[in-house]
Amino acid sequence: MLHHFVAAVVITLGCGAAFAVDDLSGELDPLEVRPTLVRPQLSLPTKLTEVYVASPGEFFVPPNVADIPDDKYGDLVRMGRNIFVDTQNYAKRYVGNGLTCQSCHLQEGRKPYAMPIWGAFGMYPMFRNKTRSVVTYEQRIQDCFRYSMNGIPPSVDSPEMQAMVAYSHWLSRGAPVGVELPGRTLPGISRAEDPSPQRGEIVYVTRCAMCHGEQGLGKKTPDGNRYVFPPLWGSDSFNKGAGIFRVRPAAQYIKANMPLGQGFTLSDQDAFDVAAYIWIQDRPKDPRVSYLLDFLLPRTGAP
Amino acid sequence: MQQLKRFVAMRRKTLITLVVLMLGSAAALSFISLRNSQARDATQVAVLDDGQRIAHAERVGGASCVSCHGTGGEGNRTLGAPRIAGLSAGYLEKQLRDFARSPLQVGVTLDPIARDYSKTPRVQVDLTVYTPGVRRHDAMNAAAAALSNDEIHSVARYFNSLPYTVVALPSDPETLERGEDLALRGKPEYGIPACTSCHGPDGRGFGKEFPPLVGQAPEYIIQQLNNWQTGARDNDTMALMRNVSDQLTEGDKVNVAAYFANMSATAQGAGN
Repeated sequence: MLHHFVAAVVITLGCGAAFAVDDLSGELDPLEVRPTLVRPQLSLPTKLTEVYVASPGEFFVPPNVADIPDDKYGDLVRMGRNIFVDTQNYAKRYVGNGLTCQSCHLQEGRKPYAMPIWGAFGMYPMFRNKTRSVVTYEQRIQDCFRYSMNGIPPSVDSPEMQAMVAYSHWLSRGAPVGVELPGRTLPGISRAEDPSPQRGEIVYVTRCAMCHGEQGLGKKTPDGNRYVFPPLWGSDSFNKGAGIFRVRPAAQYIKANMPLGQGFTLSDQDAFDVAAYIWIQDRPKDPRVSYLLDFLLPRTGAP
Repeated sequence: MQQLKRFVAMRRKTLITLVVLMLGSAAALSFISLRNSQARDATQVAVLDDGQRIAHAERVGGASCVSCHGTGGEGNRTLGAPRIAGLSAGYLEKQLRDFARSPLQVGVTLDPIARDYSKTPRVQVDLTVYTPGVRRHDAMNAAAAALSNDEIHSVARYFNSLPYTVVALPSDPETLERGEDLALRGKPEYGIPACTSCHGPDGRGFGKEFPPLVGQAPEYIIQQLNNWQTGARDNDTMALMRNVSDQLTEGDKVNVAAYFANMSATAQGAGN
């Protein structure tokens, strides 16, 4: 036993001595930058986190806008596209806030993992947990206006509704019906721990506030007519009945699409944290709930 | 009524004093605010005058700002100098500062990192490191380095105040159609957002972060996209523009530059 102990001590001291006599004076100070034969690059490699690689062949590609036919159908599709892009002007009487359809359904409803229209149209009529019933595509659009647009749902036979259905129909031409296409709705994410609004605020200030504003109220054009960057909370944002109000869908959306052009760069936990930070902010009440209950009941949509 | 009359009679002096004091303070306040606004206007005029003087003053090699960018800041296509009239003052200021920032120097000893950094409480949101931002251009690096911060501020305000009318350049319909597709819709399946989603409706610029694309020569836009790709320019917030540029093909650049050059617009010269 004693023998082993002595051997261990000797080995330990030996190692220590070996390290001690190591002479580092001849080596480069790692903190000093010296001239090299390589011309220094101004752009340092900064992508130290994992990078999402888009695989475009994976996703359905909707038809080109220039190929909208020049007939009655094409006129309806064009009107539907106008409503989709500029809901504030083309469906003014149904909108109750500052958003447009493509505030969420990015790039005219084309972007995969941003709830693309081509991924939804073929799936309806569909059972929804929200209404506990099988709903048609028109009824689904009505819910968009009721909750996400915080407005009045257009009736099923209104010209606006017909135009929006026509646009969705045209955008989904060539997509299989009743098939869950890749890139439809939102990607699945998981979290290691409970979302924290405190951490979320840090993410918000560093990554989101530049466009959506420090107060999250979005940014308008100088003439004040429309939002360039949509409001995330406040009276001009979606209400508490919207799907994106819930923390998990919001986190999935943020993970896949935000910051704009840098989808899948935030970690899952960051996405959950910043979604929780947005969730605790003030916004219009759920139209299904009275003012008193909105004040008294706990928030729905907790993760 | 009787009580009121008695009240006034008893406190006549006090009431008169109060009224005089209120009127006097109101007059003093309006006088001060008038003086302040006059002083502010005078300061703005002085800044613009200063900016004009700097813009016309001779810089490196006998050239001035206006000798390349034009007297009205309208740019020069043959020299590759962009339009700077009516651009956001904040944007111009940031670009000049980034031009002036010396590129990575050799032989510089960096500050040693604290050895007990592991004990420092910190929140690691992301491992991504953002460089302070530099923009490489031989003439502009030298010219901006010679300017002080106040001069940069003045000259940015001056070019921001200049009005400008954009003349549309013709192009063939197929190029314009493809350019429009990229400008309004981006490439959704590649994750490239539309140009207009950040650079404002019709690409007229938005805020101090997103410069206008309308009214810039197509050569300049293509050159800048190339610079983002090679790293000669990396002064964007959160590497937003670099990420987009990295995925653009040569054809994309030509199409989208032609599309924005084909638009006409007017810069009021007052906006910020």
